Amino acid sequence: MEICFHPFMFLDDIEMARYIVRRLIRAAITLLVFQTILFLLIHALPWDAVDLIRVPSAYKPGLRRALGLDLPLWEQYSIWMRSFFTGDLGKSFQLGRTPVMSLFEARAPRTLLLFLPGAFMGFGLGLWLGKYIAWLRKGWLELSASVTGVIFYTAFAPWLAFVIVAVFALGLKWMPPENIINPNIWAGTTVLTETIAWYLLSTVAIGFLIALVVWRVTQRKAMRHLFRLGGFSLIVALTAYLWLVSGLALFALDMLHHLVLPLVTLILLTFGETMLLMRATMIDVLADDHVLTARAKGLSSHQVMERHVARLAIFPVFARFIVQLPLVIVGSFVIEKAFFWQGMGELLFRAVDTYDVPVVMGILSVVGALILVFHVMLDIIAAWLDPRLRVSFSLSSPQKS
Amino acid sequence: MSTEKTPRAGYRAAQNFQFFLSHSSLAVLGLSIIVLFALMALAHPILMATVWDRVTYHPLVGFDYEGIPHPNLPSWKHLLGTDALGRDVLSQLMFATRTSFGLGLVAATIATTLATLIGMISAHYGGAIDTLLMGMSDAFVLMPPPIVLLVIGLLVDMNWLAMGLVFGIFAGLGSPAIIAKSYGQSIKVKPYIEAARIAGGSNWYIIRVHYLPNMISFILVNFMFIVTQSVLIEALLSFFGRTQMRMSWGTMVWFMQYTFRISPFRDQWHAIIPPALAIMLFCGAFYMVGRALDEVVNPRLRKR
Repeated sequence: MEICFHPFMFLDDIEMARYIVRRLIRAAITLLVFQTILFLLIHALPWDAVDLIRVPSAYKPGLRRALGLDLPLWEQYSIWMRSFFTGDLGKSFQLGRTPVMSLFEARAPRTLLLFLPGAFMGFGLGLWLGKYIAWLRKGWLELSASVTGVIFYTAFAPWLAFVIVAVFALGLKWMPPENIINPNIWAGTTVLTETIAWYLLSTVAIGFLIALVVWRVTQRKAMRHLFRLGGFSLIVALTAYLWLVSGLALFALDMLHHLVLPLVTLILLTFGETMLLMRATMIDVLADDHVLTARAKGLSSHQVMERHVARLAIFPVFARFIVQLPLVIVGSFVIEKAFFWQGMGELLFRAVDTYDVPVVMGILSVVGALILVFHVMLDIIAAWLDPRLRVSFSLSSPQKS
Repeated sequence: MSTEKTPRAGYRAAQNFQFFLSHSSLAVLGLSIIVLFALMALAHPILMATVWDRVTYHPLVGFDYEGIPHPNLPSWKHLLGTDALGRDVLSQLMFATRTSFGLGLVAATIATTLATLIGMISAHYGGAIDTLLMGMSDAFVLMPPPIVLLVIGLLVDMNWLAMGLVFGIFAGLGSPAIIAKSYGQSIKVKPYIEAARIAGGSNWYIIRVHYLPNMISFILVNFMFIVTQSVLIEALLSFFGRTQMRMSWGTMVWFMQYTFRISPFRDQWHAIIPPALAIMLFCGAFYMVGRALDEVVNPRLRKR
C-alpha cells in the first residue's frame, strides 16, 4: 500500500477527523456555558456596575439606560452573548472609554512575551532536571531536588520577585528593577512596544520551527553534530542580521533586558512541579520490562534514557502541565504586577482598583478562552498519540499524576 | 487445614501509614511542620490569656510603649521583634496561622466534597446527568479561582470563611471534579458494583458503600493540594491589598511593603522574612504530605 506523507496525515484517519470535530463542538458548548456562568456571576451580585461608579444618584437612571442595564435579563443576556461571539467586549469605564478589545491588542503581546517563553522554558527545565535526577538515582540528590522543587513551587511569588530584584537589580545592578522599556532609548520613535513584542515572538517561533526541521533532517546523517551546529549558528546569524537591518535591534534588546528578571522569576515558579512529576513518572517507567530489553540489546545508556524511558514519561507530565496552566497564568499576572510589566495582569489589577467591570470581565473571558484552546490542543495531541482515545469517550482529561 | 486470616482494612491502613512514614522522609518533614503550625495556632489564645498582656501583645492593636521608636529588633521580650506600628511580630504570626488553617481547611473540605460527589454521581449514573455535570465542570475549569476571587473581592467584603467558601466552590467544580469522575469510572467497571446492583442495592447505597471508600485516595491527595493552593492564593491577594482580611501572612507581607520605604532592610528583616517563610513552609508541608500520600495510594509511583 502506498502511503503519501504530508503534514496533515493524521486527518486521513476518519476516526481522528471525527474525534476532532466532536471535540471542537464540545469546546463551543463549553465556551457557551462559560459565558453564561460569567453573566450570571455579575448579575447574582447585589450591585450593578452603575452603583460602583461615583456619580450623583440623579445621573444613575440615565447611565443605566445608556449601558443597557434597565433591559430585561434575557435581552441583556442575548446582547452579552452576541457581542462576545462577535469579538466586542464593550468599552472600558475608565481609560477614556477605549474599547476593551483595543486595550487587549496593546497588552496581550507583552503578556505573551512573558508568559509563553516562561511557561515553556520552565516546563523544559523541569523535564530536563527531572529526567537526570531520576536517571542518576542518588539519594542525596533526590532529596535535595525534591526539597528545592517544593520550595520553588510554593514560594510566595511577590517575595521571590522582591529577592531577585534586591539581588540582581538593586545589588548587582545588572538589570533594571521594573518597567517594560527604558524611555530614554525610545524617545522620539513611533515604534510601539507591542510591535516589537510580536516581532520577537514570531522570531522565536519561526527560529524554533526551522531548528526543529534541521534537527529532523539531520537525524540519520553521519556527521549530524557538525551539520546541526552549522545549521543552528546559521539561523542565529540570520536572525541577528535581519534584526540589525530592520533597525529595531536596539529596542528589542532594551525590551529583552527588561524581560530577563520577570522571566527568570516565572521559570523558577514553574519548573518545580514539572521536575517532581517527571522524576516520579521516569522512575515508574524505568521499572518496565522494555527498559531491560533495551539495555540487553546493548543500547547506550543515553539512548535508553532518551528513547525508551523519557519519551514514555513525558506525556503524563505534559498533560498535567496543561491542566496546571491557569496557575501559571495567574503567576505571570502576579509577576507583571510585581515588576510593573504593563501587560494583561497589570491591567487586571488596575481595572480592579478602578471598578472597571468591562475590562475585568474581558480578561476573565480571554483567559478562559486561552485555557480552552490549550485543553483542546492537549486532547487532540493525546488522541493523535494514542488511537484508543479517538473512539472512547475522552474528556479534556487532567491525567492522574 | 487452618484458614488464613485475611488482613483487615484497619491493618492494611496501619501498614500503609507505616510505609508512608518509613519510606518518605518528605512526608515526615511535612507532617512535623504541619504539627508545629497547629501548635502555634493553638498556643496563641493560651499565651494571650496567661503570659502576654493584651495591651502589648495584641496582634492587631497592641503597642509596646517601652520600645519606641519602632520597629525593634528581636529581643527576649519580643522574640521576633516588633513591626513599624509597635506590634509583636510573633504574636501576629501565630494569630495569622489560625486564619490560614481555617481558610485552607474550609476550602479543601468544600472543594473535595463537591468534586467527590460530582465525580461519583457522574460516573455512576452516566447519560444525561454525566453530560450535564461534566459540561459544567468543563466551564468551571476555564475560571481560575484566584482571578474569580479577585473579581468577587472587588464587590463583596470577604472574611476568611467567605473566601474559603468561594475558593472551595470554584476550585472544586473545576478540574478536581473531572479527575474524580475518571476515578469513579475506573470503579464503575469493577465486578462488585455489578454484584451490588444485582443484590438490589439502591443507587445511593452503592455510591455510599462501594464508591466512597474507593475514592479515599483521591480525597486525601486532593485535600492536601487544595489547602496548598488556597493558602498561597489568599496570601497573594492579601499581599496586593485585595482582601478585607484583618490579619494573615499575606497582610503582614503587604504591610511590610509599605514600611519598607520608611526604614532600611536591616532594621526590619525580622518582620519581613517570617511571614513569607511561614507561607512557604506551610504550603510546602501540605504539598509534601500530598505527594507522599499520592505515592502510598498509587503503588505504581512507589520507589522500586
